Parts: sequence; structure tokens; C-alpha cells
Amino acid sequence: MTTAEGDGGEPTGPPTAREPVRTGGYYHLLKAVVYRDLLIWVRYPLNAALGLFMGIFFFGLMFYGGTLVAGQAFSDTIEGLIVGYFLWTLALGAYSGIMNDIQSEASWGTLERHFMTPFGFGPVVFAKSVAIVFRTFLTSAVILALMLLVTGTTLELNLVTVLPVTVLTILGALGLGLVMGGLGVLYKRISNVANILQFAFIGLISAPVFDLWWTRFLPLAQGSAMLQRAMRDGVRLWEFEPTALAILVGTAVLYLGIGYAVFGLTTRRARRLGVLGDY
Amino acid sequence: MADEPSETRTGTGQVPDDEDTDADDATAPVGQGTPALAPDEAAIYVEGLSKTFGKGDEAVHAVEDVSFAVAPGEVVGLLGPNGAGKTTTIKSILGLVLPDEGEARVHGIDVHEHPRQAYEYVDAMLEGARNDYWRLTVRENLRYFAAIRGQDPDTLADRHDELLEQFDLSHAADTAVRDLSRGMKQKVSLASVLAGDVSVAFLDEPTLGLDVESSLKLRTELTRLAEERGITLVISSHDMEVIEDVCDRVVIMNEGRVIVDDSVADLLAGFETKGYRITARGVDDAVLEDLRDRFDLTDVERTGDRTRFEVAADTAAFYRLTDAMEAHDLELAGVETVQPDLAEAFVEMTGGGDGTMGVPADSETAPEEAQVSAPPASDGGEHR
Repeated sequence: MTTAEGDGGEPTGPPTAREPVRTGGYYHLLKAVVYRDLLIWVRYPLNAALGLFMGIFFFGLMFYGGTLVAGQAFSDTIEGLIVGYFLWTLALGAYSGIMNDIQSEASWGTLERHFMTPFGFGPVVFAKSVAIVFRTFLTSAVILALMLLVTGTTLELNLVTVLPVTVLTILGALGLGLVMGGLGVLYKRISNVANILQFAFIGLISAPVFDLWWTRFLPLAQGSAMLQRAMRDGVRLWEFEPTALAILVGTAVLYLGIGYAVFGLTTRRARRLGVLGDY
Repeated sequence: MADEPSETRTGTGQVPDDEDTDADDATAPVGQGTPALAPDEAAIYVEGLSKTFGKGDEAVHAVEDVSFAVAPGEVVGLLGPNGAGKTTTIKSILGLVLPDEGEARVHGIDVHEHPRQAYEYVDAMLEGARNDYWRLTVRENLRYFAAIRGQDPDTLADRHDELLEQFDLSHAADTAVRDLSRGMKQKVSLASVLAGDVSVAFLDEPTLGLDVESSLKLRTELTRLAEERGITLVISSHDMEVIEDVCDRVVIMNEGRVIVDDSVADLLAGFETKGYRITARGVDDAVLEDLRDRFDLTDVERTGDRTRFEVAADTAAFYRLTDAMEAHDLELAGVETVQPDLAEAFVEMTGGGDGTMGVPADSETAPEEAQVSAPPASDGGEHR
């Protein structure tokens, strides 16, 4: 951008002001935020490696434990388990990623600097969300590949279908992460509630959307059901019912919107209380 | 908290409101009128800023009716004891705290009405070394903070090299910030604020944690920044030398109000005639008693036939004193002027303050402490 876009009205700088010369724009913002997120992730190599290891370790426990206890019956459902687990790692990554990012920035004293940008806080938070979703996809893809390798299972991985369905699905989780991130900025300590929500994702991902129609409108539920069909049965994006797609898009927009609105309200409240940067 | 000072100094920063300008009220409270500069002439314009935290009996009036203006290119020091309202004032100007009343403008742009336009011009170093990413290298920090301020880091690469050179960080450009000393971290914070090529910067305790040499160099660089780049600086610091060396003007706050807004030179000049330290011979008890009756003598010490005392006097009173001494046939062995520094001026203005000279309560919070208090991050733990 060459000049900041207006946020209402057209104020004019006085002649005495040294006019700001902008050399970058939204592309540079997005690139910088994504790059920073990846850099910080790899600068904690043990943590990054442990995250991947634990992801596959818990799946291994479920897989071998389930096979031991339920035998063939369990093996018949392994595809569903893999898809559900893949989505759970994605949702968890997006949810905790944005929540922890916001709270960490507040505790480090860098959140306020992100507030004071000519782009506005919204685009910066959006860029952060993109960065977190991107990184989460990378890690979850590795976990998915390892799951398929360990179990010897094959799944349909039509990117044109899988990618938009998963992205739209985890936008709901991102919205919840924004809610918790905003509450964290305001109330500082919310880890008890935040951790419980992580387990609620399991219930949402396995919600019986075909038996209880209203569960389709919960975060993750509709997308989870569609992802199962896409990855197990090879259903393509354009083969889904328009209603299903509409609910998927609608719930994604709704929960992300709610998340962003709550985040906006909590940060405004934090500014009123003077605790935006305090931790 | 300091007692309310008995008088305030009207400086160059603002003129009193009409209601304060009646003839009987020549010393209307400073910082509570209309700033002398027009909103669109000033780089920073603050009028009637007030902020209260809490309600009822527990309400804390952090900032009360604060007004001042800073001209483009001017360097202003913001002083005050702990709890004086400096940080709340700065954060209110920047829109990080929502004030209850008042307006804040940067280059004529209302920060609260049009924050994005205002942030084109301004950035701030609010948390000292807690202002950037410790896991990133120095250069990566500069590039990142330039990018989030709407700059292409590649285009500003030369400018960043210049900043690294200026702050003596070139050799550490590719070192992770966490591996640097506290003083160097502080310099990285400052450099990252300037990396976005802003024209107005708020610096909260920029020299905190720096050794004497680094502090001196930083002061020189701050002065150079202001002179060569015309950058407008507001520096909140407990380091009086920084304020004296770097700032054109000083705004002193106490109990949420501006009690002094004056040029550093004028402020010190106002105290220059504070007194004299005089050594004389032949002062007996009767003469001493006479001098005590006629002048404000303090710190009287007698050693042999020499008597040393301090006297609070302006130039005229000083000459009356020397006349009196001559009349008593005293031998004047020595005269020194008692030169107050800004620290003394500050203490006097704030009624003594709390002795902490304005060190923000949170400034000494170790970043490590903040890290420990960070919530567990399931996706990456501590990212700093």
C-alpha cells in the first residue's frame, strides 16, 4: 500500500508532518507474519519435534490399543479414526495456536505493537490466523502421512475437495481460539477453561450430524462429516449437497465472525481497563 | 505519593483556558489548558485527557485533564514519580488505553477516531527490552516490525543497516536477541521501533539497563535522530541525564496531572539562583545571628575561624548579603553557586516524589518473569 486505507472519514495531515512513505503492503504483512510464525516454531526444535511425536504417539496408542481390544471390528473403523484424528489435530492446532499466540504476545509486550500498525489490528490478526492454519496444515499433514504409514491405510486425498473442506471446518476452531485469546487478554488466566475446550473438540468432530440435525450447526461437526465422506468415500466437493456446503460455509463464517467480534470486544474492554499489554 | 506541589510552572507547552487566565490567576495550572500549538501544527497534541480506573471508593484517577503539545522534531521528556500517570498518558495518546475524556492527535490526526492513519506516523517502545521477539535475530526483528508497519523490509535494508550501525549492533545482526545482554536487547527494541521509518516515537525508559557508556552513546544517537531525521520523540525516563542531554522540553507529571511544562533550559534557569555556598572568616555568634535574621541561611558549619553556610538567594539578595558581610567586616573566603540539576528540580516540583524518580513500576519486571507467567502453549510452548 502506498498510504493507509481509511477507517472512516478522510483526515488530512498537516503540511508540517513528514508524510509517511510506505513501501510495503498486505503481501509484506502476510509474508512477514507467516515467516515469523514458522521461524519461531523451528527455533524451538525440541518442542516442534515433540509436538509431532506426541501427535503420532497418541494415535499409535489408540490404534494398537484398539486393535488389541476390539480386533477386526476396530480395524474396520480405522479410516474414520484417521480422518477424525487428522481433523482433531488441525482444529486443536488452529484453536490453541491463535489463542496462545495472542496470550503470548500480551505477556511478551509485543501485542500492543501489533495493535499500533497502519493496517489495523484486524488484518494483523487475520495474517496471524493464516500463519497458524498454514503451520498447522504442515504438521497435521506429517501426522496424517505417518498414520497412513503405520496403519497401512489408504485414503482419498483430493486436494480440491479436502483443502477447502478442512479449511472451512477449522475456521470454527479458529473462531473459538479468538474468543479464548481475547478472554485471555482480558482475564489473563483462563487455561482451565481453554484446556477443557480442547477435549470438547472430540465430541464436536464425532457429532451425529445425520441423526441429530441441529448438531450440523455446531463448530467442526458439519465439516467433520463431510471430510469423512471426502476422504473415505472419495466424494468430490461439487458432489456434496448445496445445503451441506451452505451449512459448512455458514458455520465457518458464523463462528469465525463470533470469534472476531468477541476478540474485538474483549480487546476494547482491555483497552478501557488499561490491561491490553499487561500480563 | 508526593504531596501536591504548592506551585506549578507555566511553560511553553500550553496556555491556560480562558477561565484560568483572569488577572488573579496568573499561575493557572499547567497542562490543563489549551496547548499553545494548534492541533494541526503539533506532532503530538493532547487536550483534556482524563482516565480513571475503577469506580467508587476504589477509583484511581490515573490521568486528570492533561494537555500539552509537542512540535514536529521536538524532543520532550516525560517525568514523574511512580504512579504519576506517565504510562497511562502515553498509552492513552497511542490509543492503547481508552481515555474517559479528551483528545489525542498525532500530526493532526485524531488517534482514537482514525487510529490507522495516526499509526502511519507513530510507534512506541513501551516495554523496554520486552518489545520484540527474543528467538528471532536482531535483523529479523527489524524486518518483521518494518513489515507490520507497512514497509517492504527489502526496500529498507540499507536503512536497517544504518540503524544497526548507529546502535552498535552490526556485529550482532544475525544473533538471536535472547543471546544478547540486557543493554543490547534494549537497543534492539529501540532500533525495531525506528525500523518502520516513523516520524514520531514514544520511548519508555530507553536507557533502562544500559551501562554508562551505552547510555551515553544512546543519548548521542537519540539527539542525532532528532536533529538529522527530524523525528519527534517523547521520552519517559528516570534517567535525568537522558532528559537533560536529549530533551528540549520537559513535562513533569504528578498524581495524574501535568505540574511542569517547560524547556529544560528554562526549568534549570529557574533554579539557578537557588543559592550560594559561602565561606567566610571572622563570623562570630552575633554576626551569624544577624545574618540568620536577615537571610535564609542553612547548613551552617564552623571549622576554626572559617564558617561555611548556604543561603537561598537570588542575585539581588546575594549582593545584599555581601554588603551585610562587608558591613560586619567579614572576610569572604569563598563563594560557590549551588547549581541544581534536573533531578533536584524534579524532586522539588513533585514535592519529593516517592524517591524512585519515575521508574515505572513494571519497568523492572524481568522479561524472564513474564515468560514464566505465560500460559502453557500446547502448540509451541514458550515462543519468545
